[in-house]
Amino acid sequence: MFSEREFERYQRQMMLFGEEGQERLKKAHIFIAGAGGLGSPVSIYLAVAGIGTITIVDMDVVDGTNLNRQILHYPRDIGRKKTASAEEKLRELNPDITINAIDMKIDDNNAVKLIGRAEGIVDAMDNYPTRYLLNDVAIAKKIPLFHGGIRGFYGQATTILPGTTPCLKCIFPKPPPKEVFPVVGVTPGIIGTIQANEVIKYLIGSGELLMGRLFIWDGLQAHGEEICVERNPACKACGDMTTITTTPGKKK
Amino acid sequence: MTVKIRFFARFRELLGTDIVTDVAPGTMFTSLIISVAKKNPEGCAAIFDETGAFHEFVILMKNGKRIEIADVAETAVVDGDEIAVFPPVAGG
Repeated sequence: MFSEREFERYQRQMMLFGEEGQERLKKAHIFIAGAGGLGSPVSIYLAVAGIGTITIVDMDVVDGTNLNRQILHYPRDIGRKKTASAEEKLRELNPDITINAIDMKIDDNNAVKLIGRAEGIVDAMDNYPTRYLLNDVAIAKKIPLFHGGIRGFYGQATTILPGTTPCLKCIFPKPPPKEVFPVVGVTPGIIGTIQANEVIKYLIGSGELLMGRLFIWDGLQAHGEEICVERNPACKACGDMTTITTTPGKKK
Repeated sequence: MTVKIRFFARFRELLGTDIVTDVAPGTMFTSLIISVAKKNPEGCAAIFDETGAFHEFVILMKNGKRIEIADVAETAVVDGDEIAVFPPVAGG
């Protein structure tokens, strides 16, 4: 049930997906890996949309060089833990949801437990080793992984449903080299917003997800396109999974 | 015969895109991309290692279908092929 305040907040989106859809968002628990450039727009939009429980994990401290893109964090937060800053902003944006902000490095030993009962993982990381780990957990738990990545004016996004779509390792078997990447804030703004949009569609069962499609954004050309991606039967991460043809969460 | 090469993202910045080029029958995939990329050494180095093989993270598509780097040196292009060369990005 919703309070009067919630009815007011969600009025415009309940016009799209009804009280039933809103209830679905309220019951949802989404895990966001990273409170940086992608994690900022993802968590802000999921919070204001009323995702009932958001777990957000990051190990870093806010740095002055983050402020051109990591819009959860303000100049006054420099030196603070990103999780403390994120928790404060997200609670203020929507006091009617639960925020679990966890200051921790996601690793082999804690990933399964951290993700817990979340029903979807948002990849807002800045490195492939952790992304592959999130991919493994998504496969083990059979929950979606909402992937995003950015560099400069360029970005990519896809939605992975283990057993149905290619997994991250099928699409990117080898990581690009590590670097201090150039970036302008609008790029993670665009890609993170696409990821949040995918999460909402997945939860309410509307529209077409970026399944088996890698969305590629070129901000310099203001041009988006997609390439089809397929499962790799020999994939080391998901090759053993039986193919699942139904889409979880999708209403027929 | 002609083939079309599409570079994405950073590769596009360095080398342009939608390059339609005349090739001789029997031209191999890798040698075709090298011949187009070598006009810009930086672009070439972004796509190929010092041995002239594709960097292992590069994503290659032919006519909308993924092809594996392990196979491309032995794959000939045919008239009308559209080839996409894409660099995954890692930032967040």
